[in-house]
Amino acid sequence: MIELLKLSKQYHAGGVTIDALRSTSLVIPQGAFLTVMGPSGSGKSTLLNLFGLLVHPTTGAYKLNGKEVSSLSDDETSHVRNQTIGMVFQSFNLLSHLTCLENVCLPMQYARDRHSTMKARGRALLDQLGLQGRYDSKPTQLSGGQCQRVAIARALANEPPVILADEPTGNLDEQTGLEVMQIFSDLHRAGKTIILVTHNPSYEAYATHRITIHDGNVSFKNEKFPSHPA
Amino acid sequence: MSILELFKTVYASLSRHIIRALLATLGIVLGIAAVVAMLAISEGGKRGIIDQIKAQGINNIILKSVKPETLADPKMDKRRIFTYGITQKDYNHISTTFNHIEQIVPIQEFDAGVYSGQNRTDIFVLSTERALFDVINCTLADSRSKPFPGKNNGIFLPSCYLGIDAARKLFGHRDPLNQEIGIGRYSFRVIGLLKGDGQGRIGGAHSINNVIYVPIAMAEAIWGKSSSVPYNYLYIRVKEVEHVPELVARLKSYLSTSHVNVDYELQVPYELMRAAEKTQRIFTLVMTSIAAISLLVGGIGIMNIMLANIFERTREIGIRRALGATRRDILLQFLAESIVLTFFGGALGIGVGILTAYGAEALAKWNGDLTIQAIITPESLLVSLAVSVITGLTFGTYPAWKAARLDPLIALRHE
Repeated sequence: MIELLKLSKQYHAGGVTIDALRSTSLVIPQGAFLTVMGPSGSGKSTLLNLFGLLVHPTTGAYKLNGKEVSSLSDDETSHVRNQTIGMVFQSFNLLSHLTCLENVCLPMQYARDRHSTMKARGRALLDQLGLQGRYDSKPTQLSGGQCQRVAIARALANEPPVILADEPTGNLDEQTGLEVMQIFSDLHRAGKTIILVTHNPSYEAYATHRITIHDGNVSFKNEKFPSHPA
Repeated sequence: MSILELFKTVYASLSRHIIRALLATLGIVLGIAAVVAMLAISEGGKRGIIDQIKAQGINNIILKSVKPETLADPKMDKRRIFTYGITQKDYNHISTTFNHIEQIVPIQEFDAGVYSGQNRTDIFVLSTERALFDVINCTLADSRSKPFPGKNNGIFLPSCYLGIDAARKLFGHRDPLNQEIGIGRYSFRVIGLLKGDGQGRIGGAHSINNVIYVPIAMAEAIWGKSSSVPYNYLYIRVKEVEHVPELVARLKSYLSTSHVNVDYELQVPYELMRAAEKTQRIFTLVMTSIAAISLLVGGIGIMNIMLANIFERTREIGIRRALGATRRDILLQFLAESIVLTFFGGALGIGVGILTAYGAEALAKWNGDLTIQAIITPESLLVSLAVSVITGLTFGTYPAWKAARLDPLIALRHE
């Protein structure tokens, strides 16, 4: 379960204060599929980066499975990112000089897993995502859809309960995008909490929860959100 | 990340730009090569020069007769015979009044032809006393050798000792003992064989193994005391080496009053060794500075390339951080890269250094008038490797620290 309590983020640039995210409180239950929509610059990415612990909120609290995580030390934050959150990016963010298998193994390396189990799990994940026989390919040898599947395999490496996806289909054609959305849908069915930032309104059909952001203001699109005590 | 994973990561990163990695380590290669060559040559120098001096005996003081400058004056009448140099009187004075002397031995040189049968050789002959062999650390090379005749041996046959190299030149593989050799017009019987440190020199530049030794009393009986130089050398062996400077000072003050025309020269291996050691230290210091400067330059090269590397790979750092790498993971990754670079640079430098050292040795040998000996010790190689790793650690820390301090999000957004 993810809880935001009066969470806000301000940026200061050139003497101007920008409210990237205005005070927001919301609860995302375990196993939810949340879509975040909104125009460019509306604060979608800020919200996702807050979820991913890549930025610290200016005010408010962020609880992940009941634990306050916004004020953790850098090492603890790294640990949470490693164990609890899997990230999928629009531009895949694979390391081009490593093979697919090595890319998938990265989060496990930082979890200090044993080498042999790491390799076995990496292969199993790639198999699961339909990339049998591509273990030793470099990302440059793969299509966009294949790259994104490697990236999803990597996000799943440490079996995190939460998957954050930042426009994962933005660089893919429509058909491939739909295939990737199908993977997220499957993951959701398997019990993962999915938070998906997208421009594509049709993807809201996969979601259990939907929010839109305009100028840092979050609006809830359905009544499913449990009312927060705040 | 385990050590194995760490090195796999480093390998994957460095193997992307092999040429760049080689160029980056060039400074380290040259720096370490300088260190290795310096250590090898200075070690060789230490063993060469210092051992050669030690072979003269650091307990010894050598007093040598030299022609005084006044005799070289062309206005002097050349037909008259002048005597100069160390005399019997000096010998008596030094041996009776000076302390700490273990042995004092006179030596005379003979410019006489040496014959083995009809063949003339240019082996050097000197007359001396038995005690010389202790002073120059010679031992009998043949147990059948008869005692070296002294003053009080009464009636005798002309006899001599041979250094082992002289014996080989005169007799080849034949047994030299009890053979006759000709010195000047006289026939001498070989009664003993001597062997010492081949680096030891006597009577100028003759190896102590390549000399014929004749008893001084016998030489005086045969050739008389007609030479213009009473004694060519006095070899003085001091009981304890720490008394050498004191005795040298006393000798100097005695000689400066008794030999105002300066017809002598003092050779003190102990002082020569001190001087050689000092030169050696200066050489080592200079070479160390040169090596240090090239390592500094090499280290800066590593730092420069690592900073460029980190800038170029900012996004990679962001991705790794997003996947859960701690600052420590990033720090170690880039520090390991620096160390691997300098380690292999160091290993390469050791190879270049060994070649340089032996090359310098060969070049000096070919050139002839300079002797360089290269001695490569395992310790020097370990020191060099340690120095290269320390250089990597020193100059890799700042870039690695910079990489570790990057904000994950800013790094991730870096294009």
